[in-house]
Amino acid sequence: MNGVAFGVFLFLFLLVTVLGFAAARWRRVSKLDNLDEWGLAGRGFGTFIAWFLIGGDIYTAYTFIAVPATLYAGSATGFFAVPYTIVIYPLVFAFLPRLWSVSHRNGYVTPADFVQGRYDSKGLGLAVAVTGIVATMPYIALQLVGMQVVLQVMGLQSSSNNWFMKDLPLFVAFVILAAYTYSSGLRAPALIAFVKDTLIYIVIIVAVIYIPHQVGGWGHIFDVVQKGFGSFNATNADAIAAKQANPKAIMPGPAGHWAYASLALGSALALFMYPHSVTGVLATRNRSVIRRNASLLPAYSFLLGLLALLGFVAIAAGVKVDNPQQSIPQLFENEFPAWFAGVAYAAIVIGALVPAAIMSIAAANLWTRNIYKAFLKPTATPAEEATMAKLVSLVVKIGALVFVLTLSKSFAINLQLLGGVWILQTFPAIVAGLYTRWFHRWALLLGWAVAMVYGTVQAYRTPSPVQKHFGGSVANFPFTHTGVYIALTAFLINVIVAVVATVVLRALKVAAGVDHTRPGDYVADLGDSGVEAQLDPLT
Amino acid sequence: MSSRSTALWVVVGILLLVAAVPPLLVSTYTKVDPTLWGFPFYYWFQFALVPFAAICTTAAYFVAREAYRRDREDGPQIGGRR
Repeated sequence: MNGVAFGVFLFLFLLVTVLGFAAARWRRVSKLDNLDEWGLAGRGFGTFIAWFLIGGDIYTAYTFIAVPATLYAGSATGFFAVPYTIVIYPLVFAFLPRLWSVSHRNGYVTPADFVQGRYDSKGLGLAVAVTGIVATMPYIALQLVGMQVVLQVMGLQSSSNNWFMKDLPLFVAFVILAAYTYSSGLRAPALIAFVKDTLIYIVIIVAVIYIPHQVGGWGHIFDVVQKGFGSFNATNADAIAAKQANPKAIMPGPAGHWAYASLALGSALALFMYPHSVTGVLATRNRSVIRRNASLLPAYSFLLGLLALLGFVAIAAGVKVDNPQQSIPQLFENEFPAWFAGVAYAAIVIGALVPAAIMSIAAANLWTRNIYKAFLKPTATPAEEATMAKLVSLVVKIGALVFVLTLSKSFAINLQLLGGVWILQTFPAIVAGLYTRWFHRWALLLGWAVAMVYGTVQAYRTPSPVQKHFGGSVANFPFTHTGVYIALTAFLINVIVAVVATVVLRALKVAAGVDHTRPGDYVADLGDSGVEAQLDPLT
Repeated sequence: MSSRSTALWVVVGILLLVAAVPPLLVSTYTKVDPTLWGFPFYYWFQFALVPFAAICTTAAYFVAREAYRRDREDGPQIGGRR
């Protein structure tokens, strides 16, 4: 452990801890005793804050560790993160303003609230809520995995065999996170996101300029990587032929084109179905904030692409680690002076805290609104809702912590892979519902159920050279030999089932329920009746 | 959507498609040459698509703002009352 690096790290960590608790007083209008305040920070964020919040929310520490790790490990498919984060924004532009409007007008806090109101179906709302919660939990767990990797490289993990003592620093960091999320709600990650993103930008910009220069330039890096992969493939030709190892390459071969494109498209469609992304969007103060951000957020995509390439830089710089996820922290350790390595570690750890906080808030909102209030206590007051959500945010985080510390890490990664498959299956109910009431509620539920089963089974049956099940997110498209992202195939099945079942249910005249929204709700903006500002925009 | 805004909304749709589709046409860019500053084409092209898509969505933002304004002029009830 390096004293200087640790000192810098500790200083920045304490800084965000103070900010986290102080955030309860930031932009405060009344008490934090309802979900609009605790869970959506008063729905008052403008373009600038929203950029940090949403950027801090969707570009997580785990992304920053895992994406370069795939390139380091020789799979160019990992670079799909770039086209993925390009395709997201036109989609965001198209449908999120409608979700914003209808949610503000009707006081919806979660996407499941919208589905429940639109289709007059608590059951469909429950399906969306449960999918959101189970897809988010492993995502929180992976933020912890990201933190754990950094703490390991810093030498902060003790050699004790006791699972509790071994990860004591992780435990401490997480208890602090849980405490300020509990007291400040969404304001805490919003304020900390400023620090997180500033640090991440500084670290990445320095890293992509300074380190490649040290190593001999980008042309040299690509040459070294190309040669290294070539000799790996030659040495392991037999194993590759026997499918016991994957060939390494700097770009996907022709067989991988559909996989690459479908991963990009499927992930982009799925991203804003995750409850934590929706939470960030609903916290904005008027309808155009999200559209302006569709133009501004791609700055993060550029950053993510550069970061991904650090996986190749690590190869050229001679970083040798058994766990590819340690390649980037190890690269920083080797190449940066100690104080800046401390900044870099802090950037990644804080980068885990922000999304972990928002995810736990989003999961707590879902539980409170769509399970607790919908089924267990319909008479719950706003204050009771907030109390319940605050408690659940603690439960969710402790659950994720126990999960990571006691179960195998690959289990969390498998579940996160499944989470992506699952969450996309809520797309038809949410997004189609923003435009049309044509789909029948039970048809959407049926499509969801069929796709969930198909996606889960298909992911289970996908082997890789190192594991028999959950070996990857790509499987052959039915009746072809073309590899396609499982989530996207399941999504197509979902839509087909929903369309056919809707036609049948309509022919049978099965009750479709009463729509609690009105056409005008989908285009309402700040200042229209029912969409009041909760905050003076200048404060 | 009113008659005065339909064409504008079509333009918005086209701009969004122009932003979203090129990254999905993978076979058009999986090649090494021409390289730029040492980067294979595959990598620098995808980087170049990021600002390109951002410009398209920015243009779409301004067109959509005008279309939305016309919609509200033509039908004040659209967002206002319920």
